Amino acid sequence: MNNGFTRRQCLKLLGGGLAASVMPSIRLLAANNDERLRKTFSGDQTLPVIGLGTWRTFNVGTDPQLLDDRADIVRAFFERGGGMIDSSPMYGSAPDVMGHALQQHGTPDSLFSAEKVWSPAGGSAEEQVTDLKSRWQVDRFDLVQVHNLTDWREHLAVLREMKAEGRVGHIGITTSHGRRHEAFEEIMASEDIDFVQLTYNITHREVEDRLLPLAEEKGIAVIANRPYDGGSLIRDLKDRDALLPDWAGAECGCSTWAEFLLKFIVSHPAVTCAIPATTQVAHLRENMRAGLKPMPSASTREKMVRYIESL
Amino acid sequence: MNPWSGYALQDFIPFTADIYFRLLERMGEAFWPLQVLTMALGALAVVLALKDRGRLACLLIAPVWAFVGFAFFVQRYAELNWAGGYLGYVFYGQAILLLVTAAAGLGFDKASRRRPSTVLGAVIALAGLIGLPFMVTLTAGSWFQAEVFGIHPDPTAVVTLGLAMIILRGWVLGLIATIPAIWLLISALTLSVLEAPGAILVFTILAVGLFGLVWKSVERLSAG
Repeated sequence: MNNGFTRRQCLKLLGGGLAASVMPSIRLLAANNDERLRKTFSGDQTLPVIGLGTWRTFNVGTDPQLLDDRADIVRAFFERGGGMIDSSPMYGSAPDVMGHALQQHGTPDSLFSAEKVWSPAGGSAEEQVTDLKSRWQVDRFDLVQVHNLTDWREHLAVLREMKAEGRVGHIGITTSHGRRHEAFEEIMASEDIDFVQLTYNITHREVEDRLLPLAEEKGIAVIANRPYDGGSLIRDLKDRDALLPDWAGAECGCSTWAEFLLKFIVSHPAVTCAIPATTQVAHLRENMRAGLKPMPSASTREKMVRYIESL
Repeated sequence: MNPWSGYALQDFIPFTADIYFRLLERMGEAFWPLQVLTMALGALAVVLALKDRGRLACLLIAPVWAFVGFAFFVQRYAELNWAGGYLGYVFYGQAILLLVTAAAGLGFDKASRRRPSTVLGAVIALAGLIGLPFMVTLTAGSWFQAEVFGIHPDPTAVVTLGLAMIILRGWVLGLIATIPAIWLLISALTLSVLEAPGAILVFTILAVGLFGLVWKSVERLSAG
């Protein structure tokens, strides 16, 4: 009697072993997809709550090494179900770097491309959008915003026409660092726009008073920029050797400060997504984990603020 | 509304520290071993300045300004910052100013070794030539990131500031020192936004340089 394995049995065993080793990760990915929070905007469309910003981080010029590094960030973003990527003509070569990344790894259906028009870049809004499309190498942007309200009346009028003709998906306005909130509010109240982008994080919550309630009331989607306050929030917490509170894991599934800070932002009912920027794939992974449920409740959000203020 | 109103300093630095240091590194990689030649040129200019051959020193460093303006600012920095192209033209302007000053022989001074301004000028020039390349140790970057006279703008400006203090006087000294001082201010502000440790060093060199310029003016007034 031959007690050894036949070739067929060996192959079956090997196949079974391989399947067993892969299954947990497949299960995890499936679970992640189920647990990934998406928010509704413009009535019936949805977006993952964690997007990707490109300010300062994607302006790498033609440096081949950094171009590939940023393409890796974009790939990792899409592998984890990423949607919105936001850029601007103010961000130097960032739109070209996006074009490089999309050429390297393809343009997935999940991409929600967000650009801006910015007067100092020169040319009309239409010329800028045309130029930016060729730099991203995309046919159409899902969203075009008026950057920092520069010449917003002229630009919004053109963008509205382009939207009506189907040449851009949605239109909006942006501000950051808490600038020009009064003018911003007036535009939100009086103009027909789909998106606003503003600074909102756990230490800069001024927009909770008027702008976020107004966005909810008018059905305007909200993009939160500077979620880490330009990186200083994370740095300060690390410098203080601050520990996550014991309840962070149980109440909102946070295991890192990145998750804690981002979940606070995207759990606000009016916020559609946050757009953290990064230069490292490891940080991108942390950011993307913040888009997984559970999210903090209203009472947990208050606890989060109190905890940060106590540090 | 002025489109620039409401912007802060950090809005004019549209890149992160790693991107800026990589830019410095790319310059080092692209032109190695030209650094050996440019540093020798800088050392020769300092020696000539101390031997009262100021016009020749100006002639030697003028093309270096044009080279940095083109290779650093126009070819590379402008990819990251729209202001890069304009800064390139400013560096070309400094090259022309140095050439005109040398050709016209305007505002040259005797480099008395006993004069404090000469000593201070030599110290600043040597800091730019030898000290600044070692600033790379603060950021733990590769040696190609080392900022070198004739390749990178900071040491080029520092060496020129020191040389000007040795060889020039009066309004010509002020004229030739203006562009290096302005660039050092821009560079120090850039490094401070990037939270790079070199910011304090560049601010310090700039402050010492400006002190030296004032000192030399007072020195001449009291001598006259």
